[in-house]
Order: sequence, then C-alpha cells, then structure tokens
Amino acid sequence: MQENHRRYDLYEELETALNRVDFFRIFHTLALRFGFGHFGVLQLGNENDACMLSARLVLHDLPSGLAEEYDKRYRFGDSIVYKALHASNISSVWRADDPVLVSGQNLPAQLGFELLLCVPVSAATTGARYAVLFLGYGGDPGQAAHYELCYSAASAFDYFHRATLANKAGMGLTPRETEILKWISHGKTASEIALIVSVSEHTVNSHTATILKKLDVVNRTQMVAKAIREQIIQ
Amino acid sequence: MTRKAHILLIDDNPAENLILSGLIRKVDSIDIELHYCRTMDSAIAFLLSGEPVSMVLLDNLVHPRGDFRETVPALRHQGFIGPIGVISSSPGDPYFQSLEEYGADFRIDKSEIDATAIEFILREYLPD
Repeated sequence: MQENHRRYDLYEELETALNRVDFFRIFHTLALRFGFGHFGVLQLGNENDACMLSARLVLHDLPSGLAEEYDKRYRFGDSIVYKALHASNISSVWRADDPVLVSGQNLPAQLGFELLLCVPVSAATTGARYAVLFLGYGGDPGQAAHYELCYSAASAFDYFHRATLANKAGMGLTPRETEILKWISHGKTASEIALIVSVSEHTVNSHTATILKKLDVVNRTQMVAKAIREQIIQ
Repeated sequence: MTRKAHILLIDDNPAENLILSGLIRKVDSIDIELHYCRTMDSAIAFLLSGEPVSMVLLDNLVHPRGDFRETVPALRHQGFIGPIGVISSSPGDPYFQSLEEYGADFRIDKSEIDATAIEFILREYLPD
C-alpha cells in the first residue's frame, strides 16, 4: 500500500489485519464509533439477478438469522435501497420513516432499524461493486461524521477485499499452504492435516480455499494434479 | 432447534469467567455452555477428559506460562483441532502477526467482546 494513501486512525488496524475476524473487529468498531449498532458488507452483483440479502452479505454482524428471516418475507431486489445502490455511487442515508420508502420496500424498517447508511464501494482490481451498510437507531450523522465514515468504510473495504475476497490466481503459495497441499496430495483429510501441522481444522479449510483460488482450480483433485504438473509438489 | 456450543475459557483471572458468562447469556441464537479453567494444566486435563469443546478462548498470558506462542502449541499438541481465539488487551502488538503460525485462529481485544462479537465468531468458526 502506498504511503500516499491516507488511512488516518485506521492505519495500524488495516495494515495488520489478518483474517475475517480482524475485519469484523474493524467494521464493527467503526459502526459503534459513529453511533450505529451493526454493519454489513454487501455484494451488489447485477441489478436484475434474483437476489437474497443473506446470500449477498459477505461479512456482517447482524443478529444471527435476521437476514434469513428477511429473505423469507421480502424480496431484497424489490427494495428501494437495492435499486438506489445500483443507480448511484453516492453515499445515502435512509430512515425507516422516510416517505420515499413505501411499504413493502422499506429495508431499514423490514430489518427492524431506524437508520441505514449505505456507502457504495468497488473492488480496485475487478471493479465489482459492493456497499458497506451501517444500521442503527437515532438521528442522522452530521456532515463531517458522514464524510469520515464514508472514507473509513472505503479504506476498510479496500483492505478487506484484497485480503479475503480477491481472486488470487497466479499468486505464489506460502510455505504453510505448500505444506498443506503436500498432505492433501497424500490423501489426508482436513482433520488429519490439522493434527499433523498443529492448527485448527478451520485453518486447514481456509488455506485449502486459498490454494484453490491461487491455482485457479475448483476441487482438490484438480488442485493436486495442477500442483504436480507445475512442480509445486513432487 | 437451537445449536449447542461448548466454549472453554482459559484465564487465570476468575473475574473474566464471570464477565464472559454474563455476555454469553445475551446470545440467544446458540445454546452456549461455558467451561472454565484457570491454568493451562487444568485446561489440558479438561481437553484430555473427553468433554466436548467446540472452541477455546485463551487469555494471552496465563501464568506461569508465556503468551500464546507457548500456550497455543501446548493445546494443539494434545490433539485439539477446534478453533482457538486469543484474548488480549493489546492484540495490535507486532508478535500477533504470527498468530496463525502458532496454531491460533483469531485474536480479539478484551474490550471488543460483546454478544455481537461472540455470535459472529461462533457463526464464522462453528457453522451449521
């Protein structure tokens, strides 16, 4: 990351964030600092695709089951907020009592919140569009707070996307990933590999997902075949 | 039916057990049973006893042992392959960058642990 990029208060956190929990901590703290209760990072996709809110949330701290309950009762694609996010890149603030949010399309009210602030963002490498949502109660943030939140959300999303969402095809494997790949090629299961290399099964699965991305393959068989072909393993 | 999770807290300060117990009561999406060990030796004995443990929350400094670089491998050597989260009041310290090399899964600041954080972590590491 260039020194020219200003990250202000988030500099240390963003530079040292390792995984999704670290980004949860960053976004959650950001939400609380600006008077919101919750956040969500939403993948926008194509406007006309059938979409469910729960499937579009790539990271969030909403109460468990809230997005799924919403999807049972409403169509996210019908909400005015969803349409507005596809129509404009300008940050927007929505109140549940906003007259423009007609019944049946009122996303903040349907989720049980009074206030929703949306910050449209995009992936630097692919242009894929996302939005960082902040949900809560109370009054609108002032102009200065709104500007600061937009800047911080865009900065945090940029790091989050590069660390966890970006396609890493063609990137080299780390020593730990190569070690896990070797054990996969020996036919070991995730739990067996976790025992062998002294990490959690979750970490093994996470490394395996990263190896799939980096080698640009879709399953473990193809992964091993490509790794042997490219002489990553013997 | 509500899922059940067994969390093992390892912390030499019993007050942290009381605090975490209070926070866990606010999580209603998962039925959490909190187990508590004050020392590494008792935690290792607990793991070896066969009691179910879905996740370990480990204070970064459990006396007389060192920090997570010593304690996490000690838990892994007992064959525990569930997630281990390290609780610290300074998770930004540089040596936390090697968290995963020592077998830990995540870090969290003591002040950041609330019902929302607990729900997120359980959703992330103990999916349905």
